[in-house]
Amino acid sequence: MATAPQFPGLDFGDKFRFWPKHNEKIYERLEAKHAWIEEKRAAQGDGGVPATEWSEEDPLENEMILNMGPQHPATHGVLRCVVKLDGETIEKAVLDIGYLHRGIEKLAESKTYQEFMPYTDRMDYLSPYSNNVAWCLAVEKLAGIEIPERAAWIRMIMCELARISSHCLWLGVGLMDAGAVSGFLWTFQQREDIYSIFDEVAGARFTVSHARIGGVASDLTPRSFELIRAFCDSFREELASWQKFLNRNRIWIERNKDVGRITKEEAIELGMTGPNLRGSGVEYDVRRFEPYLKYDEVDFTIPIRDEGDCLARYFLRLEEMEQSIRIIEQCLDRMPEGPIRADDAKQAYPSKDEVYYSMEGMIHDFMYTDVGTQAPKGANAYHAVESPKGELGFYLTSDGTGRPFRVRINAPSFTNLQGMEYIMEGSLVADTVVIIGSIDPVMGEADK
Amino acid sequence: MRDDERNAQPKEEKREHEALKFYYTPTDEARPEDSESNPHAKGTTRIPEVIDALVEEFGDVVWNVESYAGEDTVFVEKEKIREVCRFLRDRDELSFNYFADCGGIDRFTEDERYEMFYNILSLERNKRIRLKVRIDEDDLSVPSVSPVYRAANWNEREAYDMLGITFEGHPDLRRMYMPEDFEYFPLRKEFPLLGVPGSLPLPPQTPEGELTMDPFAAAHGSKPTKSKSYLEPKSDFTDDTDIE
Repeated sequence: MATAPQFPGLDFGDKFRFWPKHNEKIYERLEAKHAWIEEKRAAQGDGGVPATEWSEEDPLENEMILNMGPQHPATHGVLRCVVKLDGETIEKAVLDIGYLHRGIEKLAESKTYQEFMPYTDRMDYLSPYSNNVAWCLAVEKLAGIEIPERAAWIRMIMCELARISSHCLWLGVGLMDAGAVSGFLWTFQQREDIYSIFDEVAGARFTVSHARIGGVASDLTPRSFELIRAFCDSFREELASWQKFLNRNRIWIERNKDVGRITKEEAIELGMTGPNLRGSGVEYDVRRFEPYLKYDEVDFTIPIRDEGDCLARYFLRLEEMEQSIRIIEQCLDRMPEGPIRADDAKQAYPSKDEVYYSMEGMIHDFMYTDVGTQAPKGANAYHAVESPKGELGFYLTSDGTGRPFRVRINAPSFTNLQGMEYIMEGSLVADTVVIIGSIDPVMGEADK
Repeated sequence: MRDDERNAQPKEEKREHEALKFYYTPTDEARPEDSESNPHAKGTTRIPEVIDALVEEFGDVVWNVESYAGEDTVFVEKEKIREVCRFLRDRDELSFNYFADCGGIDRFTEDERYEMFYNILSLERNKRIRLKVRIDEDDLSVPSVSPVYRAANWNEREAYDMLGITFEGHPDLRRMYMPEDFEYFPLRKEFPLLGVPGSLPLPPQTPEGELTMDPFAAAHGSKPTKSKSYLEPKSDFTDDTDIE
């Protein structure tokens, strides 16, 4: 139905149109879609924006179809939103994802369990450590591997740092979307400190791949303890200064309040997860629901807000960062001495000392790289962690070899985007940028 | 310019969807023991009372229960999956109201080749259930659970995109990741890891050129031609025979 736009110099004639069937289907869907707007307004009880009357003169008062993305600075990646506008209100929205699809579920089937680890870094690339840990825990559950206590505490510290780092990016970019560029620089300073910690601990700043099946790759150095403690102290102050700047900031509040609202029932129905679900008053956090690592032994609260709008999600994420600092401090105090990897050549890599100075160590290292962990045939297991974006789970099926038979990734950004399609309907087109920022999707994860 | 020659393939009026050939691998029955001592087992996935309620309501529809790593998997007949889901959601003492995930598995067996699993949570009762249905290759349709759980919409679209399982009663069964012009189902076991050459044409690399049918020609085994698309400056190290 929609004709391809003609750009000078880009006319391929009949030879090529960029995946014509795909675009046609999207526009067909947009037409066929049920418009929730009226029901939504009635349910939420506010008049909202009145439907505009048909006017020939003003293009803003006509219906129009707008393509946002896939290349758009505010979409946080390659997200394409096809929206039907009634004046300035979004009447219907269709999201098109898959522009970053690399097929990592397929790739995993030809890799050993350990080999797949670097791919998980590149899923939610804003918090790679959480993905590493999620993957390791799923494999460990599948193969029945127990990890040493010290490794569990190290993983927890790093996961919480990853959460802070991810939320820092959300805040910085969210502020920039709303027009405050300086906030971006402040949050990135904190991210930079976290990068330095990762650099010291894992040897890589961004894509860390530090967790190992059966433990972690290396122990924390004394300097990394210092860095983490220093970060905890300075970050508290920094967080307080951000709150001072934003909590009563009129522009920030008016830009976020009552925008992108989603009720408790809708959030559950749409399967929203993570802060987006808790922002609507649903008490669901995997750290409480099915505690993994040592989360049942530390003292922390799970922030909940009832409003379900962008402002609620803002308060909630700031609160979450504070709780993360609390968890990290407890981990530092309570971390026992001991090994950092399971002491079994079939379950985890031997230490480098063994590899370099003993024959068995070298053979074990070779065998583990070649064959790796082997789970029993026909076994299947699901393990989820609370990543910064929500429930991140891996469902693994084993055929008895060193490679997974099937890997299913339950990615939080994917489920959140599904809910966002509904949230966008009925909101103003100018608010989409704020909504996308507040839902905080990462396309690397959503597109797999 | 020479690239185009390499990429050019015999032009056809309409490219036919070519069925991928494969052979089944022999299978033996797998019976992993349920290890009670799994260090990562969670209390939420032990659900005997839910299974009892399901068996009481549906009888033979629940045809198997498997258990591994403290997780109970309930196998149900595929025709009844929507009723089972509705029962789980609406019964007060169960109230499985939160749909976490669903996905397909290609088991690569001769009968009942595909499997769909549904991962559903009860937020009030702190329980997680995994339902499974088996799907035969001859009849790839499954009743959609989207009418019961709206969250299943995209997950089912993904299963359709990746494995070709179709969902009856799904409101919007389009592909999720791949464009509609793509004709294969990539997560099926017979689909090659490197993709099918020519399945997704890309724009020409030069204004007058042909479509790029295969951006990874070398990976698919085509030999590089001697001539290059650019002319290397002549030096002592260039091989004269390389330049036409």
